[in-house]
Order: sequence, then structure tokens, then C-alpha cells
Amino acid sequence: MTPVLTMVIDDSRAMRLILKRIVAQLGFDVVESANGKEAMDYLAGILEAGDDSKLPGLALVDWNMPEMNGLEFVTAVRADQRLRNMTLMMVTTESEQSQIVRALASGAHEYVIKPFTPDAIIDKLTLLGLVPNGVAV
Amino acid sequence: MTANPTENDLRVIAEQVWSSYLDVDGSKPLLPVPAAKVVVDVTGSVSVTGAWRGHVLVGCSDGASRNAAAALLGIELDEVTDDDVADALGELANIIGGNVKSLLPEPCALSLPHVHVEGEAGRYPASTEVCKLNGTWLEESVTVSVLESTADFAEASAT
Repeated sequence: MTPVLTMVIDDSRAMRLILKRIVAQLGFDVVESANGKEAMDYLAGILEAGDDSKLPGLALVDWNMPEMNGLEFVTAVRADQRLRNMTLMMVTTESEQSQIVRALASGAHEYVIKPFTPDAIIDKLTLLGLVPNGVAV
Repeated sequence: MTANPTENDLRVIAEQVWSSYLDVDGSKPLLPVPAAKVVVDVTGSVSVTGAWRGHVLVGCSDGASRNAAAALLGIELDEVTDDDVADALGELANIIGGNVKSLLPEPCALSLPHVHVEGEAGRYPASTEVCKLNGTWLEESVTVSVLESTADFAEASAT
């Protein structure tokens, strides 16, 4: 398994910590952002520096956040060709089918509804090919 | 879906939240108690707007709010700060509110969470209680309630 630099984007520090614990146990390094704007600013800084090797390969994205929400973040990332390799997974309380369809249509690759167990996150990362089958934390 | 959420809906949602974050090993469940035995010192809330208007509240005694923060943040109880409590109660309200929203008519939108420390009494005068779950967790009070905004309030807000 190749560790993936992962962005955890959620306005709740507790939720960022819960997600960080799960992916850190997979050996993934984590950067945290409290909202979509903070995450986009972080990505812009890396792109300006020209060091694409520091771009996260995965982002776990909450939906309801101040300043820039998760759907806006997904749309912004998908609009930037330089970020085309970033895998986007929504992790949110928005559980209506219409919202899931909306997020996937905007460019999210996967969708996890809160509350979740660590296994739910691992299962989705396995589906995305980021974690081998049979891994548990 | 047009029916209002029920106490049983709140129980199912709360059990999912507790088993995911606050009682992972199943040894510290949220237990139902009579309303008279509930104490609320801190409340996390989210508002729902759209086809249905109202609020979802998670009320805790001071002890329960600190237990929740310690569990969610993975820290010792004596390390918990007021900011930790606000973050934890806000996220619990967000998660429970989001799941309640899925039971309501579409389209609805969820606000960002708000946490206040003086209890819930009188904060939502233009609302009626739809359902409420009263519980005890680690011998501390927890309530989850759904309030629907009255028609008068909705009309007043629109003008």
C-alpha cells in the first residue's frame, strides 16, 4: 500500500481528529483544513511553489462548513486541471439521495454519511483502490 | 416524506451516533430516563429551513458535555476546555440534525451549529416541540429534541 497524503476538511476539530486517526493508522500523512477556502488556499500555495509532489492525493470533505462549503470545494477542485489526480470523498451528514447525486455529479468520487465507523471509511478507500482488500484498523 | 420525526427516530439516530463515537465498545449506552430527571446546562443546535422549518437540539448537563468532548477528541476529562465542549456539542448537533433532516420533506437546508451554555429554556419561543428523547449517559443528562417553527414565525420572518 502506498501512503496517500490526505486532506481532512471539516469545521469540527473533533471530526478532523476522528478522521485523522483512521487514515493515520493506514500510514497516511494528514493535513487539516477547517473549511473549503482554507483548503483551497493551501492547495494554491503548493501550486504556486510548483511542487506538485506535495499535493494531497485524497481529500475527505465535509459539506456544511463556513466560508466555502464542501460542494463548492469539490467544484473548485474539479475546475482546476492541476488538481485532476486528487480523489475526493465527501464525509457529511447530508444523507438525502438528491444530495448524494449532487455531490457525485459535481465530481466527488465517493460519499460517506455521518455517523460512520472506521470500517465504513476503509471500505470506501478500498473501493477507490487506495487501500488493499482486507485491511482493518 | 411528510410525517414529523418521532422519539423512536431520535433513539435510532442517537444509538448510531453513540455506537460510532461515544460508546464504541457498547459498554456506555445512552439510557432513556423520565423528563423530570433531565438537567440541561449546554445545548448544541442546528436550524432547518426550507420545506420544513425548525430546530434540532442536543442538550447536555455540564458533565455529559465534557464526557462527550473527551470521547470525541480522545483526551482526558480534566483536559477538556470550553472550546472542546463547543466543538463536540456542535458536531453532535450537526450529525443528529443532518439525520433528522433526512426524515423531513425535501428540500431542506441545515444551518451551521450553534452552542450556548445557559440551557435551552426560552430560546425558541416561536416553536413547538415535535419529539424529544431524554436520556442518561455515564449518569449525566442528555436530551435530543426537535422543535418545529410555528406558521406565525415563518410568516413574520418572510416579511
